[in-house]
Amino acid sequence: MQIFNSGLFWFIEGILFVFVVLGMGAWARDRGLRVPVWKWGLFMIWLLLAGFTIAFVGTSFGEGESVAGTRGGLLFGAITIIAGVGLWRVLLAGAEPGGGDVVSEA
Amino acid sequence: MNRPSGRFLRFFVASVILAGALAYGWTHNAPDFVTPIRTIFPESQRIEVRQGVHHVWGSGGTLIGWAGVGTADGYGGPMLLVVGIDTLGLVAGVQVVEQRETPVFWRMVRSPDYIREITGAQYNAIDYDYESVVAVTGATLSADAIVESLRVSVAEVAGVAFDVRLPLPPRPLEFGILELSILALFSIGIIGHRLRGPIRRRLRWAGQIVGLLVLGFWENSPITMAKLAGILSGFLPDPRTALAIYLLIAGFLLTSIFFGRNLYCLYACPFGAAQRLIGAIGGFKLKVPLWAVRFMEGTRNLVVFVALFLAFLTLQPALASYEPFAALFALHGSTVQWFLLFIVLTVSLLIQTPWCNFFCPMRTIELVVLDAKRWVKGKKGGDR
Repeated sequence: MQIFNSGLFWFIEGILFVFVVLGMGAWARDRGLRVPVWKWGLFMIWLLLAGFTIAFVGTSFGEGESVAGTRGGLLFGAITIIAGVGLWRVLLAGAEPGGGDVVSEA
Repeated sequence: MNRPSGRFLRFFVASVILAGALAYGWTHNAPDFVTPIRTIFPESQRIEVRQGVHHVWGSGGTLIGWAGVGTADGYGGPMLLVVGIDTLGLVAGVQVVEQRETPVFWRMVRSPDYIREITGAQYNAIDYDYESVVAVTGATLSADAIVESLRVSVAEVAGVAFDVRLPLPPRPLEFGILELSILALFSIGIIGHRLRGPIRRRLRWAGQIVGLLVLGFWENSPITMAKLAGILSGFLPDPRTALAIYLLIAGFLLTSIFFGRNLYCLYACPFGAAQRLIGAIGGFKLKVPLWAVRFMEGTRNLVVFVALFLAFLTLQPALASYEPFAALFALHGSTVQWFLLFIVLTVSLLIQTPWCNFFCPMRTIELVVLDAKRWVKGKKGGDR
């Protein structure tokens, strides 16, 4: 899997990462959410955790450590999902009622 | 006249079948000492038990060594080990005859290095420092059982063959933070059970968080099917070293009988606490349809029955252990247990304590206890 060691892969990875962060900002604006710095911090930590989980599974399987990949993936996957749901609730806390989700307006 | 419920009848029939399986297990699982002794002494021609020690003769009727059998409590029951000592007093080999450890932990402690290290050592100069391995693996009970049964078997041979009395280390009553925490948790439970409102909720949270930290992540000592099946099989661990499990089971049974709900699950169970905590993070409380609840409860009861049946039939209590507790609290488990852990933890976000409601064997045991109590109570009322 030479692609993973290439500059192109990491270039695309960086672009995607930026899109995720920009997407998060856009989503919060659409919903009328205030996202202070500490919430951004939590989001970034979660993003790193999710990235770590994917990387752990990927590298483990890549190195032929399928058992470690499976078990680590299940453990970190569960932690990432649970932390993601917790983060979701933290981000939505304090949202203005009825704010966001407007698709079109006359 | 008091008629037993259909469920109670099913439990009764299941108990009869399980008793049969246990009887079979005890009569058909006699340990074989000859094969391991022949493995240690390949040149052996005749093996004879004298004064409780196996004497081994080679060709020409020459005594070539002795084999001592030692036993100690492991995780799921007693471990039986044979140590061979030659006529020079050197350890010729060690063989585990029987063990009832959970496979994952057994794979870790079955380190051949330790056995290799002590092979060839003088019988009175064996290094029993297996604790360093324990510290790495975390399989304390299994490793302790190896060391303890080794000490016992060597002492047996030393006494008979060399007329040397090797003192066994004293085994004081282990009463520490774990045992204190268990007593405190049941006390909190009893107080909480009598209260209502937010104080009760806070007490329950306090108890569960202590349970999660002490019984879970620190000691990994929740009640498990393996421990329960071990005790039901007749393998009663030494109360001096396994006081915690006696306290937990006694608390579970007594509170079920006296309060109509076991307070272990409500206030002490670390896995229940983990699910409840995740449920609080998720905030969802999806209602499961009644038919699905009934189906899952029936499946759980069947799984508990099959697990106990296999454990009794083979006298291997560890076979009954299907819980993913060790995967969460000690990061050890089979792949199936890891999958189960993932499912339970993520579903806990949506459904309240799914393991407790649909998978936990303790719920089945609690129902049996409560049905039996109801039946006895009804019978007494009917007799009056």
